[in-house]
Amino acid sequence: MLGTIIQQTVNALTIGSIYALIALGYTMVYGVLRMINFAHGEMFMLGAYAAFLALTLVVGDIGAVGAIALTLVFFGAIVAVGFVGVGIERLAYRPLRNSTRLAPMLSSLGVSLSLVTGVQILAGPQPVGFPSFFPTTRFDVFGGTVTLVQIGILIAAFILMFGLYTLVNRSRMGIIVRAVSESRPTAQLLGINVNLAISMVFFSGPLLGAAGGILYASYYGIMSPTMGAVIGLKAFTAAILGGIGSIPGAMLGAYILAFVEVGGTALLPVVSGGVLGTEYRDVLSFAILILVLLIRPAGILGEPVSEESMVYKREF
Amino acid sequence: MSAVDTPAAAEPRTRRIIPLLVFALAVALLVATPFLPNYHIRVINGLLIYILLGIGLNIVIGYAGLLDLGFVAFYAVGAYTYALLASPQFDLHLPFLLILLIAAFLGMLTGILLGIPVLKLRGDYLAIVTLGFGEIIRIVMNNVDWLTGGPQGIARLDKASVFGIEFARPVEIYFLLLVIVFTVAVLVWRMERSILGKAWAAIREDQDAARGIGINTTNAKLAAFATSASIGSIAGVIFAASQRFVSPESFTLQESVLIVLMIVVGGIGNILGIVAGATILILLPEVLREFAEWRILFLGLLMIVLIIIRPAGIVPRSFGPDKLIRGLFGK
Amino acid sequence: MTLIFQNIRKQYGSNVAIDDVSTEFVPGLIHGIIGPNGAGKSTLINMTAGSYAVSSGAIVLDGRQMQSLKKYEIANSGIARTYQNIRLFDQMTALENLEVCYYPTEVGATWREVLWPPFGRSQRERRREACMEILRFFNLQGYASAEAGSLPYGRQRMLEIARALVMNPRVLLLDEPAAGLNHHETAELTAKLAELRSPDRIMIIVEHDMDLVMTLCDRIVVMHHGKLLFQGTPAEVQANPDVQLAYLGTANDIDEIRAAAQDRRAKLGIRARQRS
Repeated sequence: MLGTIIQQTVNALTIGSIYALIALGYTMVYGVLRMINFAHGEMFMLGAYAAFLALTLVVGDIGAVGAIALTLVFFGAIVAVGFVGVGIERLAYRPLRNSTRLAPMLSSLGVSLSLVTGVQILAGPQPVGFPSFFPTTRFDVFGGTVTLVQIGILIAAFILMFGLYTLVNRSRMGIIVRAVSESRPTAQLLGINVNLAISMVFFSGPLLGAAGGILYASYYGIMSPTMGAVIGLKAFTAAILGGIGSIPGAMLGAYILAFVEVGGTALLPVVSGGVLGTEYRDVLSFAILILVLLIRPAGILGEPVSEESMVYKREF
Repeated sequence: MSAVDTPAAAEPRTRRIIPLLVFALAVALLVATPFLPNYHIRVINGLLIYILLGIGLNIVIGYAGLLDLGFVAFYAVGAYTYALLASPQFDLHLPFLLILLIAAFLGMLTGILLGIPVLKLRGDYLAIVTLGFGEIIRIVMNNVDWLTGGPQGIARLDKASVFGIEFARPVEIYFLLLVIVFTVAVLVWRMERSILGKAWAAIREDQDAARGIGINTTNAKLAAFATSASIGSIAGVIFAASQRFVSPESFTLQESVLIVLMIVVGGIGNILGIVAGATILILLPEVLREFAEWRILFLGLLMIVLIIIRPAGIVPRSFGPDKLIRGLFGK
Repeated sequence: MTLIFQNIRKQYGSNVAIDDVSTEFVPGLIHGIIGPNGAGKSTLINMTAGSYAVSSGAIVLDGRQMQSLKKYEIANSGIARTYQNIRLFDQMTALENLEVCYYPTEVGATWREVLWPPFGRSQRERRREACMEILRFFNLQGYASAEAGSLPYGRQRMLEIARALVMNPRVLLLDEPAAGLNHHETAELTAKLAELRSPDRIMIIVEHDMDLVMTLCDRIVVMHHGKLLFQGTPAEVQANPDVQLAYLGTANDIDEIRAAAQDRRAKLGIRARQRS
């Protein structure tokens, strides 16, 4: 029993870390642009494919690669996706900055569609096996199994999130980004380079998302062009749950969602007497998303929208 | 008449000629369709169903300004209603028209039940919630095997028949669709011009000011949701009756996005735009069939480019059916 | 028929925007609400129209409590408003902007309007005629089929007032109707507003343009720092030293102003006595 609990806890922490990495991208973009970026799930997918490409093309034989080379591949891939993110913002979202609220969202749907099919055309629509970035060592902790992959994911995610947190709270760049999140018009008036701040966000968000993609792919040993859709929506749920726009909120929401999901998946068949099986796991996340939006749209750490901040802008 | 060559004088003429030309082409296509090979008629039938879906979703997106990304759920409700009530699944074989009514009602009910909690949400959240709802419906259809047959779906559906006339061959379905699409289009257009339609537009423009002139925005939005849902459901019934087979595969998120895309490409809030958008998005891929895998990539890029360079779509909102009628019959 | 504010308060967190304001508005008169920036004038309008919630106190129209009603219910009980920043339905025509106001009374007939063409036609024509009349009153008939958002600024202001009038309101709330208008347009507006005075309509105008307020209004409420400083006729307001100080002085607290005014009165009194 203790073993199961430990094992499930580690499972939840692992998947929660991956959700958190992606959720941060949603929340930061929402912070500066008040826009839901439907293409963000695809950054996750691109990360896995970029790393795979780097491994097979540049490095060659995977078995012979050392830890340093793997680290280089990892960072090379996520930085590359970061630049893709910046490029997408330039081409598909920036021209719509002063358009209606929903126009950039529709544009991001188009970006999402294009990226998925683009990868399908280039790499084939089938799922592809993904080499693990970590040795497949297993540990036995009080009867539960914990893999080295999981520990690696936890450490990598922790380092990245800590890095982002420091960047946002300590650096000059972070101050600029926070200023733009607070109020774009005011930041603009103060002479802050708003475009630079937005580019920063569209660099770091996809970068973290891509990292999540690589970790996810090496955790499950598989990747596919459509892998971003469902995970993206779950990470978005996490961001909403924690309070969209809030960076600590995104992390908190991600771990809560992961624990609910792991726990729910284990309990659903038991509670419902076998009527609802594990295939309803995704339904559970969507249901949480809908419930949060209905009951407390501001999320756990988000600020409730007051009547003063009701912005008058056409949505369509 | 050399003055015609100056742009100022040429403009009113082209303005009348282009709609006339397009209209003539559309009529020619409609008249010619029954004489085409079956495969082509099926493509046209598919196009008509998409036009119906577009007209339905446009009520919510174009008129009321609410982004619904789970429209396919209502389409599925209609399709499965027909599949369950006119197939060997439960050995029920109700008449087609009755099922059409039941489905329209069920669609409306689903729309209202979904609408009541979510319509107070802001636009972007509404989009996400409807998207989630669409996915939930699809997952449920995939897993409630005893009811929906799971991923295998339900096969051997009855042929549609109205007053003893069977509608099973593509040509027959074509005529059935033509009547339904035309009726729905006229009714929806009249709705757009009614006081309710004006209220939808006001909500789209400025929700708060709309409340300020006494519009119960929740009710007006629910009416939009319900009408749109029941049209989606009707489209689902016809889809099921023409395929005589349903499975969850037909009701993916991509399908919802495609319908949104049709509206955005054609012209938000304009029935003529929907027809244009659907025609382009459904017929173009058929023409480019050799490049099958490229076409969705093309659609995605088209969506981005159009939103940026022509956000109003191909046919602007100002060129509605009334303008077309006036253009055709003078006045 | 009167509109009564009973001890209304508006609080944002610990910040009090409106503090215990009680007053009464009567039909047939044009009421002005004036005060320096941030005095809470617009907040009063917004609370009356249901745009903001009232923290405590009551707004009573004809003996009916309004403050807990929804915004559209308040509109339907006869309170119409314009906005400080024009809020028209931009992509609808000027005429449609007015026609849509028939929604509350005619939405019940939607099905008949859709399904029975002759009825639909007569509905539409009746609506159009009534709205055109109001457009003509404001000299806007030439813009009837132009998109509201494309109208010149001054015409948009007029159209917004026209829209509020279609509802045939018992209470007409105008939030800075002259803001952004040039001299000529302001004169035109003043004339039109004077014509709108009617024995069964309460008109309330929030305005910074003192010429307009003093010419038009019969009674004026002066707000300062969320409190009601003074109310009376234009002449009384102009003569009141509290008001003068509130506008000209720098004192932050109403009591300070009162004290200062007392002081000034005393001095004036002394001087007056000396002169006589």
